[in-house]
Amino acid sequence: MMALLLQEAHAAAQAAPATEAAPAALAGAGFAGSLASYLVVSGILFLLGIATILVRRNALYVLMGVELILNAANLNFVAFARFGGYGLDGQMFALFVVILAAAEAAIALAIVLRIFHDFGSIDITRTDSLRD
Amino acid sequence: MVDFMFVVFAGMAVLGAAVLFFHPNIVHGAFSLVLSLLGVAGLYWTLGADFLGATQLLLYVGGVTVLLLFAVMLTTRDSQRIQLGRYVLGALLVGLLGAWLAQAFEGVLAVIEAGGVGVPADPQPTAPAIGAAFLDRTQYLLPFEAISVLLLVVLVGAVTLARRSPEAPR
Repeated sequence: MMALLLQEAHAAAQAAPATEAAPAALAGAGFAGSLASYLVVSGILFLLGIATILVRRNALYVLMGVELILNAANLNFVAFARFGGYGLDGQMFALFVVILAAAEAAIALAIVLRIFHDFGSIDITRTDSLRD
Repeated sequence: MVDFMFVVFAGMAVLGAAVLFFHPNIVHGAFSLVLSLLGVAGLYWTLGADFLGATQLLLYVGGVTVLLLFAVMLTTRDSQRIQLGRYVLGALLVGLLGAWLAQAFEGVLAVIEAGGVGVPADPQPTAPAIGAAFLDRTQYLLPFEAISVLLLVVLVGAVTLARRSPEAPR
């Protein structure tokens, strides 16, 4: 499926110069020269992150899935800023997201350790009470 | 050359994420997440975002994954097989979401072909401009200060949460 999507994106990028209105960004550009290929990679990362969160029961897997989703969103920020001509703003957003993700990971891992200490397990289906 | 780098880095990112999802061993999953984050850092470089790529390398690959590995080793004993029921349910939901995303992607492609996307300029070194933007009070000075305070709060909060409370023995 992934290869298919990439092929589609590439085919679209190659087919675009045939129309007169096609911008030069797509004309004869390869993978790295087209926004679409970055969007495909970001979409795949996002889907795998969502899948990890939905399927796994270990709280640490949920955290790792969230990291994947944040990276997919960051990739979109940077790619759109580069190809849309928004200068540095996309990178600034992505920087803030990276910093917030580090903060989130630190707090979440402290909470995970605490849950392990109190419940003896970090299975997210078994942590069902807030008080001792 | 940039195309080749794109394929390599995109492959790293996707392969790492896939191994994280499919592999039953969580330690392998954490290391494959490192691979995936490295790939994303490389993709930033192919987009001309050199400072962001370096930050990703330092903060994510160097910091977050080390924290994750610590937590894995402190909390998880057994391997994590996926139950078939959850697997099927998750695959169904992700398939629906993927179909929706693909449809949205076609819309984006239409916008791109209509000329909504400009020509990227040649990449320039970004670190000086990012530093100036962070300290410019008409741009990002307020978020910069706010996130500094947030990091202090996180530091204190993480220590407080992870500490075993001696006054309340269980």
